[in-house]
Amino acid sequence: MIMRLSLLLAALLAASGSVHAFNLDLNKLLDVGKKTTALKEIDEKGEAEIGNASAASLLGAAPLVQNEKLQAYVNQVGLWLAMQTERPDIPWRFGVMDSDSVNAFAAPGGYVFITRGLLLRMRNEAELAGVLAHEIAHVLKRHHLIAIQKNAKTGLAADLMSLAVDNSSSGSGYGEWKKKALSASTELYARGLDKDDEFEADRLGVVIAARAGYDPYGLPAVLQTLDGISAQDSNVALMFKTHPSSRQRLDLLDTAMAGNLERYASQPVVADRFEKIVGDYARRGK
Amino acid sequence: MKTRSLLLALCLAPLSLASVAAETGQILVNTDLKSEPYADAKTLASLPGNSAVDILKRQGGWMQVKPADNTQGWVKMTAVKLGGTATNAKGDSGMSALWNTAMQGRSGNTGVTVATGVRGLSPEDMKNAQPAPEQVKKLESFSATKSQAEAAAKSGKLSKQNVDYLADAGGGKK
Repeated sequence: MIMRLSLLLAALLAASGSVHAFNLDLNKLLDVGKKTTALKEIDEKGEAEIGNASAASLLGAAPLVQNEKLQAYVNQVGLWLAMQTERPDIPWRFGVMDSDSVNAFAAPGGYVFITRGLLLRMRNEAELAGVLAHEIAHVLKRHHLIAIQKNAKTGLAADLMSLAVDNSSSGSGYGEWKKKALSASTELYARGLDKDDEFEADRLGVVIAARAGYDPYGLPAVLQTLDGISAQDSNVALMFKTHPSSRQRLDLLDTAMAGNLERYASQPVVADRFEKIVGDYARRGK
Repeated sequence: MKTRSLLLALCLAPLSLASVAAETGQILVNTDLKSEPYADAKTLASLPGNSAVDILKRQGGWMQVKPADNTQGWVKMTAVKLGGTATNAKGDSGMSALWNTAMQGRSGNTGVTVATGVRGLSPEDMKNAQPAPEQVKKLESFSATKSQAEAAAKSGKLSKQNVDYLADAGGGKK
């Protein structure tokens, strides 16, 4: 970071040609540099704040389903999975979003969402567990947080430039950075993570499901369902845009699981409970 | 299609809610039909690519299928593409038939078509979403405690296992 900043400084100086022509305030620039360096490692509190704001954005796009029993159920399944990971104690929150769209989301700090459209296409709890565990893996590996930071850093060059040429600027603090991070986060949900992050979350997800006592083939089963949905269906537009193809994910997972997770395939899929709670919701239509 | 899912839901409801039995699929490439869900089980037949099958159930990474003109058996789940034929092209798996029936029931009285379009989750919607902090507060109220999660696991007969994370394709553990 420091290296990159000094390079940036040098570039700025070179570009301006004359320091005075741009009213460059070197002290201010260095000050901003210190602040951004200090922000490099976001602590758990910062992660929770960014996660909270990201969750608010997601739920602004589609609100929670108003069915307490369903929401409580998804939280119990989700927390049980998260308890089998290296971050069992962060405040995990799970929610079903009221949307026909087929998708699931994670946000930093322990937020996991699944849409009604995806939930209703599932057959049992092991499938639900597989998807929740995939999203939990994104949180464990801080995939969104790291991508948001990368994005915010790219935007930083422009910010430093504008600060440097404007003497009257009052400077940029944590609040300003967070706003930037938030806009990077909403942008990220529209664009998606790197493919490798998705593949990694798949590999971690099936293991987390197996640790929690489920048939780990729940996630592959969901990927197979997704593979069967026509790409023309508008309900899968965002999910297909932001993820590698379901067929490729299924094939890679199957290869990775062979010889390692097959022995857990006879663990429960817990169909009865899922059929009761999700089926009740589906039958009532609310 | 509408009548079919309604009938289907009515027929299946008293027995089981699982609609797996109603699913169909397509064999992707030539595949051995096995007598058991194991690679070294007896081969019953060779199923040609693009042939249609009824899906009876999934067990681990295997699917029990019934080809149109063959005895039932097992194939790897990766060999099957769900739907593939017109009957299931929308991915109407799981509980979605029940939901659709409920929605049709609601619109039935008035004759008004139910709007089932995408609600708020297109790429553009995501970018333009206005934050809803009150929804996050609501989310808090649904959160589970560890003891609730443990109790739910117990009643689902789920028992913890020690399992290592999988190596990635490159061979390194991540």
